[in-house]
Amino acid sequence: MSLHVAFEGITKEFGAVRVLHGVSVELQPGRVYGLLGENGAGKSTLMKILAGYHAPTAGTLHIDGEARRFASSREAEQQGIVLIHQELSLADDLTIAQNMFLGHEIRRGWLLDDRAMRRKAEEALRQVGFEGDPDLKVRDLIVAEKQLVEIAKAQVRNARLLIMDEPTASLTPAECERLFALIGRLKRAGVTIVYISHKLDEVERITDEVVVMRDGRFVARAPTAETSRHRMATLMVGRELTDLFPAKRVAPTSGTPLMSVRGFTVPGWAEAVDFDLWPGEILGFAGLVGAGRTELFEGILGLRPHSAGRVTLDGREVRLRGPREAMRHGLTYLSEDRKGKGLHVNRSLRDNLTLMTLDRHAHPLLSGRSEDGALGRAVAAFGVRGDPEGRASSLSGGNQQKLAIAKYLEPDPRVFVLDEPTRGVDVGAKRDIYFLVERLAAEGRGVIVVSSELIELIGLCHRVIVMRGRRVTATLPAERLTEEELIAHAIGTHTRH
Amino acid sequence: MTKVATVARRSVLGAGAALLALAGTGGFALAAETVKLGVCIPAATHGFTGGIVWWANEAKKELEKAHPNLKITIKTAGGAPEQANQLQDLVTVTKIDSLVIFPFESAALTQPVAQAKKKGVYVTVVDRGLTDTSAQDAYIAGDNTAFGRIPAEYIAKKYNGKANIVALRGIATTIDNERWNAFTEVMKKHPDIKILDAKYANWNRDDAFKVTQDYLTRFKEIDVVWAADDDMAFGVLKAIEQAKRTDIKEVFGGAGSKTMVKTILDGSNPLIQADVSYSPKFIYDAIKMTAEARLKGAALPATHIIPSSLITKDNAKDFYFPDSPY
Amino acid sequence: MPSAPTPATETGATDTPPGVDRAGKPKAPSRRFDPHRYGPLIGLGLLLVVGTLLNPDFATWDNWMNVLTRTAFIGIIAIGMGFVIISGGIDLSVGSMAALIAGVMILLMNALAGSLGSPVLVVVVGMLAAVALGGAFGLAHGFLITRGRIEPFIVTLGTLGIFRAVLTWLSDGGAITLDGDLADVYSPVYYGSLLGIQTPVWIFVLVAVAGAVLLNHTPFGRYVQAIGSNELVARYAAVDVDRVKLLTYALLGACVGIATVLYVPRLGSASPTTGLLWELEAIAAVIVGGTSFKGGEGRVAGTVIGAILLSVISNILNLTSIISVYLNAAVQGCVIIAVAFLQRRRP
Repeated sequence: MSLHVAFEGITKEFGAVRVLHGVSVELQPGRVYGLLGENGAGKSTLMKILAGYHAPTAGTLHIDGEARRFASSREAEQQGIVLIHQELSLADDLTIAQNMFLGHEIRRGWLLDDRAMRRKAEEALRQVGFEGDPDLKVRDLIVAEKQLVEIAKAQVRNARLLIMDEPTASLTPAECERLFALIGRLKRAGVTIVYISHKLDEVERITDEVVVMRDGRFVARAPTAETSRHRMATLMVGRELTDLFPAKRVAPTSGTPLMSVRGFTVPGWAEAVDFDLWPGEILGFAGLVGAGRTELFEGILGLRPHSAGRVTLDGREVRLRGPREAMRHGLTYLSEDRKGKGLHVNRSLRDNLTLMTLDRHAHPLLSGRSEDGALGRAVAAFGVRGDPEGRASSLSGGNQQKLAIAKYLEPDPRVFVLDEPTRGVDVGAKRDIYFLVERLAAEGRGVIVVSSELIELIGLCHRVIVMRGRRVTATLPAERLTEEELIAHAIGTHTRH
Repeated sequence: MTKVATVARRSVLGAGAALLALAGTGGFALAAETVKLGVCIPAATHGFTGGIVWWANEAKKELEKAHPNLKITIKTAGGAPEQANQLQDLVTVTKIDSLVIFPFESAALTQPVAQAKKKGVYVTVVDRGLTDTSAQDAYIAGDNTAFGRIPAEYIAKKYNGKANIVALRGIATTIDNERWNAFTEVMKKHPDIKILDAKYANWNRDDAFKVTQDYLTRFKEIDVVWAADDDMAFGVLKAIEQAKRTDIKEVFGGAGSKTMVKTILDGSNPLIQADVSYSPKFIYDAIKMTAEARLKGAALPATHIIPSSLITKDNAKDFYFPDSPY
Repeated sequence: MPSAPTPATETGATDTPPGVDRAGKPKAPSRRFDPHRYGPLIGLGLLLVVGTLLNPDFATWDNWMNVLTRTAFIGIIAIGMGFVIISGGIDLSVGSMAALIAGVMILLMNALAGSLGSPVLVVVVGMLAAVALGGAFGLAHGFLITRGRIEPFIVTLGTLGIFRAVLTWLSDGGAITLDGDLADVYSPVYYGSLLGIQTPVWIFVLVAVAGAVLLNHTPFGRYVQAIGSNELVARYAAVDVDRVKLLTYALLGACVGIATVLYVPRLGSASPTTGLLWELEAIAAVIVGGTSFKGGEGRVAGTVIGAILLSVISNILNLTSIISVYLNAAVQGCVIIAVAFLQRRRP
C-alpha cells in the first residue's frame, strides 16, 4: 500500500526556459505534505513529472527505491499516483460513473459492465461523503461536487499517492471541512497526500510537513507544527513579509449611498436583496458556493434576467440591460472566472487592457501609441510584471489578475465589483491587490468584494453581507467580523438574528 | 374528450367516403383507360436542365388538357439518392403505372427503376441508359455521338482539314466521354487538325471564361474553339472579346439553346456560325410518346434516338422556340 | 495608512526577479517575427516560380491581370468572410447570395431601362441596389443568428438553398441576361482599366485596404477579434456582442454585393450556376490565409494572398498539360494542404 517517492536532481526545461533547477526531495508514505510556493515556483511542474504528464529533462524519479520514468499519466496511475487537476478534468457530458471509469472501464466480455461500474462508483462516492446518483451528468454538478468525484475517481483506481492542486479554491467553508475529514481518512488508510495551496491556514491545519519551493528550486522542508504561517509566507516570497492587509479606515456611512439595491430578485438565484454602498466603503459578500452572490451581481449588471428590484447609482435610478450600460453609469464587474470571462488570455496585454475603452483611443482610427501609453501607465500603477509584448497567458496568475483589475478600472468606475479577487493568486500579489482595493476606496469609490476567503473579507472589508440560499441572512459591521460568525450565517447555524 | 373523438371519427368517415368515391369513378372501373404517369427529372440547376423542367411542364399542361384521364406527376431531384427516394414515393404513394425517368446516374438508379418495373410500372428511360437494359421498357435519347461527330465533321470540312482547335469539356461523365470520343474519332482522320488542349469547364459560363482566358494566354494561334455547350460558348465569347483576339474564326457550342439559335438566325456574331441540336425538348417527346402509347395500351419501340442535326443559318428557324427558357 | 500610493512601490514584496513569473508558460509574442505567419506568402512564391518554369507565358502582365481580375470576386467576398470567421461565425450562403443579387440586379436594371432614360443612371441604381441588397441579406442573417439564437451554420445553410432556389425560379432555370445597351454601358466596370490595371483589381485593393484598416485600427475590428477569441469575456467587458456580430454579417453581405457588381458586367447574365461553390472558395481563401477557423485571429493580407493563391493554382493547371485533367482537383487539394502545413501553429 505505502509508497515512497524520491526526486533526485530533477531539472525541467520548456524550450529555452528552465522551470526546475535540480530539485531533490523525498516524500514518506502515509503523510500529508503541504507543497508551498508562489505561482511559477515550479510546484505544478514537479507534480506533473511525478504523475507522468511531463518527463524530466534531467534527474531521476525513484518510486519505492526504483528509478522510474513514466511515459504517460496512465503509467503513473498504475503505480497508484493520481493528480487532481486545478482545472478539473472531467468530461461534462458523461455521467459520474462513466467519468470515474473513463479509460479503465469494467468489461464483461466485449460489453461494458455498467451495473458493476455504477455499484463501485456509488461505493466510492459514499466514502468521500458525496450523496449523489452516479448516473448524474457531471455538467449538473457544482464545482465542489466535481472535486469529490475526482477524489472518488482516484480512490477507485487505488491511489496510493494523491496530489491535490488548490482543491479548496472554489469550495465553501463547509465543503472544505468535509474535504479535510476525507484527507484524514485517506491518510489513516496509508495514502500519501501532496497538498498544493495558497491558503496557509489550511496548510497549517491539515499537513504534517511543508515543502517550500521558489524559482524552480527546493527551498525548505519542515514539520508543519514547527513552522508559523508567517515563516511559511516568508520562505515562499524569499523575504520578510509585512502585514498582508492595509490598515482599516473608519467605515464611511455618510452622505448619499453610491449604490442602492432594493428588492432585487434574480429568478432561481437571489430573492429580494437590499443593500447600500457608501462612497469610500469596501463591502464584502460572503456565502457558500451557490448562495447566489455571483448571480446577484450578474443580474444587476444585466447579464442575467431579473424579475424585480431597483438599482440606484449616484442617486439616480437606472435600468441596466447589459455591462455596457452599467459601465456608462460608472459600474463595472470583474468576474470570478478570469480565463473564461475576465481576460482574453490568448491576446496581448494591450488589447486586454483597452477593450472597454477603445472609443477613447479611436480618432476614429485606433492609435497604437495612445493604447501603449495606457498600458504603460497601467503596468506602472498596478505593478503588472511580465512581457508587455506577450500574451496575457504568459503572465502568472497574480499578474493576470492585476491586468484584469486594471482593465475593469480603465472606464474609471465609481462602483467596482470584484468577484473572488485573489483566486489562484500568490501571496505577494494578494497583498498588492488588497492595498489596491483600499486605495480605490480611499479615492471615494465604492468597492464590493465577493469572496470565499474569510480572512480576506475580515481583513479588508468595512461591512460584510452574508447570503445563504438566495437571501441575505446578515450584514456584519467590521467589529463583528470573525470566521465563526461568518460561517454560522453562511451555513445557517446562527441562532441570534 | 368526446368532442375530439367525434371529430376524429368524422374525418375517418370522410376519408372512407372519398376513397369509395374514387373507386367508383376511376380507380377500378376505368383502370385500363386511366394512366398515372410519373416523371423523374433533374432539378433546374443550369440552362439545359432548366429547359428539361420547362419542357416537362409543357408536356404535362398540354397532355392533361387533351386527355382528362391522364394524370402526370413531375418530380425534380438535386441528386441520385434524392431521385431514388422520389421514385419510391411515386410508386408507393402516388401509385403510378407509367414512368418517364431522366436518371441522374445510370448505375445508381438501375436498381430502383428495376424495382418499379417489377411492380408493373411501364418504364421509359430518357437520355442516360441504365446499366441493365432489362429494367426499362423503352429508351429515348438524344444522340450524344452525333453531338460530338457533327461539329467535328463541320469543322474538318469548313477548314479543309487544317486548323488549330482548343476544346472545353463538361463534367467527367459518360455523356461527356461519348461526345469527346466521337469528336476525336473524326479528327483522327484529319492529321492536320491539331487539338491543342481540352479542359473541363463544368458546363458553366464562369469556368469556361477562365479556362478560355488561360488558353488565350497560352496559345497564340487558335482557329476554332469547340465549346461543346452553348452555356460554355457564352463564356468563351466573352473571354475572346476581352482579349481582342482576331485569330479565332469560330466558336462552336452545342445543344441549340434559344439565344444561340437566335444569334445564328440573325447572324449577329461572326464567331457563331453553326450549332448542333440537342434540345431538352426530347423530354417533351418522351412524355408525349409514353402517355399516348399507354392510353392506347400500346408499347413503344425499345430504343428511340432523337437525331441531332447541324443548325446553320438556313435551318435555324426550325429550332427556335421563343417561349422556352433555353 | 489613509491613502496608499501605488502598491507595487509600496510593498516591495512582489519584487520577484523577472522571468520567474512567466517560467514554463508558453510565450507567443504577437509583434515579433514568426515564420509561420508567412506560410501563405512562401506558398504563393513557390507557385509563381513553378508556374514560370512550366510556361513562360505565366509570367506575363496580361496573365497576371487575368488572374487578379478573376480573383477579385472571391477575394472581396473572402475579406468580408474573414470578419465573420474571426468573430467566430460562418456564412455558407455567399455563392447563392451573389447569384440571387446578380439576378435581381439584372431584372431591376432591365425594368428601369425604359423609365429612367439614361442607361448610366440605370446602371448606377443597379449597382447601389446590389450592395444594399447584399447588406440587407447580411442583416437578415445577423438577426436570425443573434436575436433568433440559431447557429450560423444552420441559418446560412438554409439561405444557401433559399437564395439559389429563388434565382432558379426567377430565371425559369435558364439565364437572366442584361439588355444589350445596358451591357455596353456597364461593361467597363469589369473590362475597363486604369493605368493598365483592370477595374475589379482596383476595387479589390480598395476593399482589402479598407478591410485591413477596419480590422486592425478601429474599435469595431478589435471587438470582432475579441468576440471570436472569447465571446463571454467580450460580453462581460461591455462589448455589444450582438450588434458587432450583426454588423459582421451585414459587412459580408455588402462585400458580396460589391463582388456581384463587378461580376455581372463580365458575362452580363446570371444563371443557376452563378457563384456555385464560391462559399467554399472564400472560406478556403480565409483559412489558407492564416485565419483561425475557430475565430479570434486573422489577417486581411493573408486572406488576399490565400485568394490569389487559389486562383494561381488553377491558372497554372490551365496553362500546362503535364497533369491529367482528371487530377486537377487533387493538385489543388495538395497545394491547399501544403500551405496549411506551412502556416500551422505549434500545439
